[in-house]
Amino acid sequence: MKIRKYLALTKAGIIQELHFRLGTFVTIFGNLIYLILVYFLWKAIYASSPADTVNGMTFTDTIIYLVLATALFNFLEMFIVWDMSRSIQSGEIILDLLKPVNYRRYKFFSYFGDNVVTFFLTFLPTFVVVYLITHGAIRLGLNLLFFVVSVALALLVNFHIELLVATICLYTESTWGINIVKESIVLMLSGATIPLAFFPEKLRTVVEYMPFRCIYDTPLNILLEKDGYTMGTGVFTMLAIQVVWCVILVLASKAFWNFSVRRITVNGG
Amino acid sequence: MNGRTQICRGRGFRFYARIYRKILVQDLKSKMSYRADFIISTFGMVLTNIVGFLSFYILFQNFSSINGWGYYEMLYLYGFSLIALTPLQCLFDNNWNLRFAVRSGDFIKYCFRPINVFFYFISEVFDVKGLGQLVFGVGVLAYAWSHLVIPVTVVTILQLILLLLTASLFMIAIMNAAAATCFWIINSGYVMVIMFRFKDYAKYPASIFDGFFKLLFTFVIPIAFIAYYPALVLLRPDEIPLLSRISPLIGILFFYLSYKFWMLGARKYEGTGS
Repeated sequence: MKIRKYLALTKAGIIQELHFRLGTFVTIFGNLIYLILVYFLWKAIYASSPADTVNGMTFTDTIIYLVLATALFNFLEMFIVWDMSRSIQSGEIILDLLKPVNYRRYKFFSYFGDNVVTFFLTFLPTFVVVYLITHGAIRLGLNLLFFVVSVALALLVNFHIELLVATICLYTESTWGINIVKESIVLMLSGATIPLAFFPEKLRTVVEYMPFRCIYDTPLNILLEKDGYTMGTGVFTMLAIQVVWCVILVLASKAFWNFSVRRITVNGG
Repeated sequence: MNGRTQICRGRGFRFYARIYRKILVQDLKSKMSYRADFIISTFGMVLTNIVGFLSFYILFQNFSSINGWGYYEMLYLYGFSLIALTPLQCLFDNNWNLRFAVRSGDFIKYCFRPINVFFYFISEVFDVKGLGQLVFGVGVLAYAWSHLVIPVTVVTILQLILLLLTASLFMIAIMNAAAATCFWIINSGYVMVIMFRFKDYAKYPASIFDGFFKLLFTFVIPIAFIAYYPALVLLRPDEIPLLSRISPLIGILFFYLSYKFWMLGARKYEGTGS
């Protein structure tokens, strides 16, 4: 694999993303308002609760978790399934398939450019703001390093789940339906809407055996140094679980894609 | 342009109802030809509702009330918001395609018909799967109602229907305006995605906001009107605020303004030249 070839794609992705500055600006602004909603809701929820700590989460923990989950969402969500299913439906996908590059790798590195931009433009500013507003409730130590590693793994897990789902579109020619199914399952079971700590015991046990938690819940718990996610209590186990899911999903999406692309029928032409 | 508007003016409700029915039948026919997509989409709609309900349920497993609102009252608001969002989903879904039509130049075809551009564009898509949300919403609302002390009379039912209709206008107005931004900016998809996410917070009582943000979510991004203000009429009949009473008027105003904004964009549209 010639890495320079693929880095060029990433560069193109960065330039393309920066071209739509207004879009980025609108996203940041809209997110800010959205986060205010999150803040008010949970403030009211905790104010109505007799206890300060619910399921091991304080109000500050919950807010940091949810705000950074939203920031991670903006960073990770690349609407890959949307793009791919659209190009499958229109037949445009054939242009990409004819290129003398590995399609899956080609996609990954193009989207990676977007990831780089959104990381600096949305995730990092949000992180700084959260850090300042909560007066340093996030400890800046080794957990930060583990967090970065964990987010990188989350990116891979997320990308391959997307790719796996997008491949289904080769068979169904469904865009909206597949997307909405994927989105609701991933956002719910990864902890992006409600931290997994709040889930009822039985449901949580089931969810913990699924790959989705690797995307939001694991990195955020590592950052917040929750029990079971620190140096002493098993951060390495958590990272190992992420690696294992990464490998499984990479292999699965590769196999499914290679199997499916041979029987593809492209519309029009 | 002027001549066309005059022609339209002579056409009444019945003319538009007939056209709508014809377009609707065509749309449904084309939808049924993609059967797999139709089935998956319907399943997806049901699933989003189940997931939405699940997160609501999990929240109340941990916290017994929010800002003085109990479980069944919150459930009532939840069901109410789902029903109020159905007309947007079913009737105004084509707004999501507006930016593609505008950018590709296809939008010009809507301008050359002797009927209202907004009507023609919006009527082209009827989203059947939105009806699943309606059924789910009605179920939730009925269940919540049966556990609350709201009397079931002809008056309350009629009130409820009126309130639901007016509540639905607010999110439609928000999305009309969000979609219309594509006449001015490229990549307006972001605006729509963000605005659409706000609807998830319509089911919570607006009493959780204070100060500036209360005004923001009441008059600028009016999500407080999607469930909270209209629902108060039946939920808290002893202390109905003025905003609840006049919510139908405000709803019509918001819808009218968003329509005007949409048409303003459509009128300045010049096509792409192809």
